[in-house]
Amino acid sequence: MESDDPLRRLLVDFFDLAENVPQEELTQRNIPAWDSLAMVQLIGELQGTFALDFDLSEIETLRSYDEIRDTLARKGVSLERQTGS
Amino acid sequence: MSNVEFWIRDFPSQTRQAIMEAVETARLAKVRRALRLFGQLAPELRGTQFKVELLSTYSLEPVLPTLELALSCLPCQAQLQLAPLNDIEGYVSGTTDRSSTEIPNARVVLWRVEEFAPEVLFPLSHAFPDRSPVDDAIQRMRRVVSLHKRHAPGMPLFLSTLALPQNMANPIFASQYSTGAFSAVGRVNQAIYELTSNEGGVHILDVCAWAASGGKNYTDPLLDFMARQPLSAQGQMAFGLFLARCLRPLIFPRAKVLALDLDDTLWGGVVGEDGVNGLQLGHDFPGNVHLRIQRELVELRNRGILLVLLSKNNEADARLAFDSLPEMLLKWDDFTVRQVDWNHKHENLRAAAHELGLGLDSFVFLDDSDYEREQMRQMIPEVRILNESGDPLQMLRALWETDAFDSLSITAEDRTRHADYSVRGARDAQAHGDDLESFLRSLGMEAAIEEIGPANMERVVSMLGKTNQFNLTTRRHSHAELQRLLESGCIALALRLRDKFGDQGIVAALLAVPVENGRTLEIDSFLVSCRALGRGVEDSLWADFVRRAIQKNATRLKASYIPTAKNSIVSELYDRLGLKRVTEDSFATTYALDPVAAAKWPSWIASKNGMYGK
Repeated sequence: MESDDPLRRLLVDFFDLAENVPQEELTQRNIPAWDSLAMVQLIGELQGTFALDFDLSEIETLRSYDEIRDTLARKGVSLERQTGS
Repeated sequence: MSNVEFWIRDFPSQTRQAIMEAVETARLAKVRRALRLFGQLAPELRGTQFKVELLSTYSLEPVLPTLELALSCLPCQAQLQLAPLNDIEGYVSGTTDRSSTEIPNARVVLWRVEEFAPEVLFPLSHAFPDRSPVDDAIQRMRRVVSLHKRHAPGMPLFLSTLALPQNMANPIFASQYSTGAFSAVGRVNQAIYELTSNEGGVHILDVCAWAASGGKNYTDPLLDFMARQPLSAQGQMAFGLFLARCLRPLIFPRAKVLALDLDDTLWGGVVGEDGVNGLQLGHDFPGNVHLRIQRELVELRNRGILLVLLSKNNEADARLAFDSLPEMLLKWDDFTVRQVDWNHKHENLRAAAHELGLGLDSFVFLDDSDYEREQMRQMIPEVRILNESGDPLQMLRALWETDAFDSLSITAEDRTRHADYSVRGARDAQAHGDDLESFLRSLGMEAAIEEIGPANMERVVSMLGKTNQFNLTTRRHSHAELQRLLESGCIALALRLRDKFGDQGIVAALLAVPVENGRTLEIDSFLVSCRALGRGVEDSLWADFVRRAIQKNATRLKASYIPTAKNSIVSELYDRLGLKRVTEDSFATTYALDPVAAAKWPSWIASKNGMYGK
């Protein structure tokens, strides 16, 4: 079901990564293209895709798949539910 | 079909789908994929090279892939060059010494009130006893335009208007006094609109009008504070497509003719069945929708779009409705060609194209009938179908939304085009019966040859962009390219024609570039507007050009005929003018005239400056 995860899909497409990239490698540290310019573009895309606005304090918590997933969950976006549907 | 779908209609379906997915989702990954597929297309599908300079008070770097994709859809091979952030004056005045091949096709200046005149947003916090920040902003814009004209003359300049601020406190109060933020932005914008009417080559990118369509959804305050990039993902794509549409008239000429249906289009109902009294047209619903359609059509006609009536009706019924419906805004004579009979509409459209001397791809078709639209689509794929639904409101929306008639200016010729063509119809009818030369003599034609310069450049660029038939090389020079040719010492002539029907404006042009130490002149472009075909104006222009060439001590002329799908009418022009064929293949026939010999000015055209006797 992992490939149905919309956040994973978004990150894999956004950074043009291999489909089977392990989840723990989806981090800013591991992905050279994830620079400050990409961060701006990514935030715009996350806000558009999940129809939400990040708080300023949340900007620092968007540096990996896990962080973004947790931040989205705090804002009421459950990726699990979307994968199940 | 949306405008974008129309632009990319010739792309393979996989590329089309990828582009539409990118447009609909505004996802950057999809944008990049669409760009990759675009890059793999054959060069002829990708279109011409098109270089655009972007100067901005806010950051566009994160948006560049989206802008590139939007422009690629035109289609063109877009090259975007970003000036350093918020350094508009410095950049505009420091760019004089570019090598000629690098001249951009357009320069776009984007400013917004947040950087450009931030005091305007907080008028009560700033006391300005002497000067208003609005006046300062207007002065600054004028300075940018004059710097541009000094350092990059001829390069089309697009000035953005200021968007009304979306994210501000007290918007209700701000509207209550004349120095408030909204009023101030409006005054600056008014000055920008006025700049374009005074300055040739200056166009408006009306970001204010565009932003109003998306409102807050187009903005993202977080990105604005983080990176000084104010657009949301949705706003970025919408802005890219808006920018592309504004620039498109520099590459593609607008449609010239709207061919349209009568029943259930210009009025509600079918005149042959419901009778004139049963038709719906007027100020009440739903006749007011048809009335609005007519208003839009009258406006198009006044802008120089020719209207052609294609109706399956008895002509007498149709005429009766035109003559007796009191609310009719369009008159019978507003249609340059009327085909009211029971023939197939595609056949009638072909006949109208022939009569007007225009290509089928100059036509747009509006008809409420699914059957008629489908038949037109299949029989003449070149014709652009305007509407997808026969519902009157959907037809009206199609008129509102289409870019088919987009242009950046309106010329004197546009305003009188319908009358010109009607007169031409009368002339043609007259010519049938008479000996041609005595008919031409009866027109009382007088030609003035002008050197191409600022006064007539806009018309010449427009002709270069639109003329298909009498056009030897079909080189679509931009304003900037023409300017460069003029600076290179080219002989550049335009012919202005008057006849007994009035001033016909500039109807022909010729550009010749000195080569081989200047002793040889090579014809770069030679064209005659389709409004003036068959009248011998090309001989007048040629005679005057040759005289000037001899004066300049040219010993040899070189010329070429480059065949296209539409210019076979001039395939033997240079033979007739006495030039010798040098090489010949399917791409071009080249000619030479050596030595340069004087040519005869046609006896039925008077010369304005009296240089040639009758």
